[in-house]
Amino acid sequence: MDTKTSNTPFYEPSGDECELFERAWKNRLPLLIKGPTGCGKTRFVSHMAARLNLPLYTVACHDDLTAADLVGRHLIGDGETIWNDGPLTRAVREGGICYLDEVVEARKDTTVVLHPLADDRRMLPIDRTGELLQAPPSFMLVVSYNPGYQNFLKGMKPSTRQRFVSLTFDFPTAAQEEAVLIGETGIDTMTAKRLVSIAGAFRALRDHDLEEVASTRLLVYAATLIKDGYDPVRACRAALVETLTDDAETAVALNEVVSATFGR
Amino acid sequence: MEEYVGALWDRLITGAAEKRHAAVTVKLDDIAKSAAIFFRALGGDPGLGISAAPAVRHGARRRLLQRVAGSGEKVELSWRDGEVLRLPSQIDLFAKQTLNRDLYFWLVALAAAESDNSQPWIIRNQLATQATLERFPGLQSRYDWLVEAVIALRIPAEKLPADEAAQENTIRQALQYPGTVDAIALTARPFQPVPLWPHPHPPVNAATSSAAGLGSPEQSGNAANKKSRRKHLAERTDAKEDKNGFLMMFRAESLFSWSEFVKVNRPQDEEDDSETAQLAAEDMDNLTIARDGKTSAANVRFDLDLPAGAVDDTPLGEGVLLPEWHWKKQVLQPDYCSLQQLIATDAKPCELPHALKNTANHLRRQFQALTPTRHWRKGQQDGDELDMDAWVQLVSEKNSTMPTSEHGLYRVQVNQERDLACLLLADLSLSTDAYVSNHSRVIDVIRDSLLLFSEALTATGDSFALYGFSSLKRSHVRFHYIKGFEEKYSGQVRGRIAAIKPGYYTRMGAAIRQASSLLVQQKKHQRLLLILTDGKPNDLDQYEGRYGIEDTRMALLEAKKLGLRPFCVTIDSEASDYLPHLFGAGGYVVIRNPEDLPKELPLLYAQMTR
Repeated sequence: MDTKTSNTPFYEPSGDECELFERAWKNRLPLLIKGPTGCGKTRFVSHMAARLNLPLYTVACHDDLTAADLVGRHLIGDGETIWNDGPLTRAVREGGICYLDEVVEARKDTTVVLHPLADDRRMLPIDRTGELLQAPPSFMLVVSYNPGYQNFLKGMKPSTRQRFVSLTFDFPTAAQEEAVLIGETGIDTMTAKRLVSIAGAFRALRDHDLEEVASTRLLVYAATLIKDGYDPVRACRAALVETLTDDAETAVALNEVVSATFGR
Repeated sequence: MEEYVGALWDRLITGAAEKRHAAVTVKLDDIAKSAAIFFRALGGDPGLGISAAPAVRHGARRRLLQRVAGSGEKVELSWRDGEVLRLPSQIDLFAKQTLNRDLYFWLVALAAAESDNSQPWIIRNQLATQATLERFPGLQSRYDWLVEAVIALRIPAEKLPADEAAQENTIRQALQYPGTVDAIALTARPFQPVPLWPHPHPPVNAATSSAAGLGSPEQSGNAANKKSRRKHLAERTDAKEDKNGFLMMFRAESLFSWSEFVKVNRPQDEEDDSETAQLAAEDMDNLTIARDGKTSAANVRFDLDLPAGAVDDTPLGEGVLLPEWHWKKQVLQPDYCSLQQLIATDAKPCELPHALKNTANHLRRQFQALTPTRHWRKGQQDGDELDMDAWVQLVSEKNSTMPTSEHGLYRVQVNQERDLACLLLADLSLSTDAYVSNHSRVIDVIRDSLLLFSEALTATGDSFALYGFSSLKRSHVRFHYIKGFEEKYSGQVRGRIAAIKPGYYTRMGAAIRQASSLLVQQKKHQRLLLILTDGKPNDLDQYEGRYGIEDTRMALLEAKKLGLRPFCVTIDSEASDYLPHLFGAGGYVVIRNPEDLPKELPLLYAQMTR
């Protein structure tokens, strides 16, 4: 569930997001990052944590995530109970970054524990131990969610949203995305260009024929397979087309785009 | 015998002349959906539909055999306008199926490329070809094969007179080396059609030139009738009003061909001879359509005039003024539509029809599982009370020699809340009067769906409202009150459902805006706007085709901005043409068998809100 990062991971900035992140951190403001799946939100947070030299606790939120999973719980040992900090509590104690990925996936009662931490009080009450933790200046709360990728009726509570500085991520520009592909996989420029062109075509189908479009992450997968010597058309089919759709006719159209780009 | 030999000869000579490859034909119907997605992926206008192109007389030189056989006069070429991309209804030019299919996708790719219409046709096509090949280098090899195959089908330059040969060589050069030809010389005879390029002079589409105030009548025929994808060139003209149709007002010898429009005021035919008409239409070059606002009695069984006030439903309050989106001007026209909320006057409280009782009981039982309940969850890491069973097991494991595992030792009481409101908006336009089977009409299916939906939702306790809509131009959008959010589902509501009747047209945008404004007042976390329909947005005025679709799309975008979740349930089998544009992928469902709708709808709701 939690990871601590040591060396700075590769990240290609698309605007002034690094500056905003730093300023938010310096001024003790929590940050909300919105953006489609696989556009680099998690990578960005890891990169910033490494840059600021802060411990990072990443929590991938899900349906069954409880407040106790974040804050901590008593474990029953041999004849005694031992308190065990959750990732949020650890981040507060150590003055690090707590990153809640896909926060809308968590149950509504869970996100309420974030409220006193996210406003100017910057406090974390732990009911079970009777503690009231005051977050040190270096602590930062970062949450992310994907406005398109939600369960049909899920959204983020306005009262929670209102406590964050927000940043919208989108897919990088073609040139930036090519740089990412080359930087990540060491693929040649021509192949990177073609992969980005395919992604551009697929992204035109967002909200229309495809619920989810090709993310940079998927392009990296395709590039990795191609770099390994796999046939580009088949690599795109496996990493992009089949991942994005189950509908046969949509798949036919997407495969046509792939062969229009790489030939057959 | 003579006839038999004649038919045999005809088949032989036509077959030899045409060199078509029926066995490897690729039909537009089979690839239309993929082609549409391919078109959008390549940057084509997402609002454009795909339709079959009409065959047009090209007038170019034909081979001797073709002249003998009297064939090859017409050709289906592609072209696009503001509403549709037209493609040949089938391609059987080449002996290889992959080539025929490739030609379709090539035409789509070319149509998606930006084209400068001020340029001459030959330059426009070369530029589009160059742009497409540059963006999609993988198409190069396919393009080369297609050019080779197309050139092999053309009459060679050496068999043509000098001027036509020069023209033919220019075209071949433009195909083989796009970007190298600046102009094409004109000759007395048109050049041979080029299947790789769109039509040189796209004929004006009838729909775009349609005068405001004239819409297509709502269809009330058999909904199962499959529409032919083949389209005709059409032109609009005014109907003659002052002349008697049966008086001969032209000299017979001046009638050059039966396909030309003769301005005769022919009274509407009561006979339903649609098959003969269809066959005749297939052979026509041009269909000329005159609008006189009258609709044939064979097609319309209901009076489209508004009912007299005394027999109409009771209006509830003042009318509501609503805006409408004009897609060409890209403006929201404020206070453009007037919506009247109505309540059925003659609705008598009633029971659930006997035929639905079993299904209703079944659904109620299924839906009770969704009812909010409080229950204990055992084996939790954290919770209100100790889980004694888990505790005993842990202790006994510790006392035994078996290794102990970590258990959740608490139990927690959870409350599964359902915090949602749903507004169901049903299409009550005249098209719902069509029969879906031998014994039921669309409206009957909608009625049963509303009843079963209400039965199921009453079991869950979810807050829901039911409304219906129809319209007669922008000044009269009818919004039928069936059940409000505050009202309980009762015999009275069932009576109102039983009283719904089909009528008028489908101004969907206005109805969606009104439904959104009602739903947004519900202070619930999840708000679902379910739209139940059987066809496209359509009304008597300009509210047809792209206009209606774009206004509906705008109304849906507004609803989404308000935090509502629109979802469409349709029984229109052609809905895949336009629904993705309106609702997006995953925002709609097409019920293939309309009779399943009453049962499917509640289950769909359960699936969506689980």
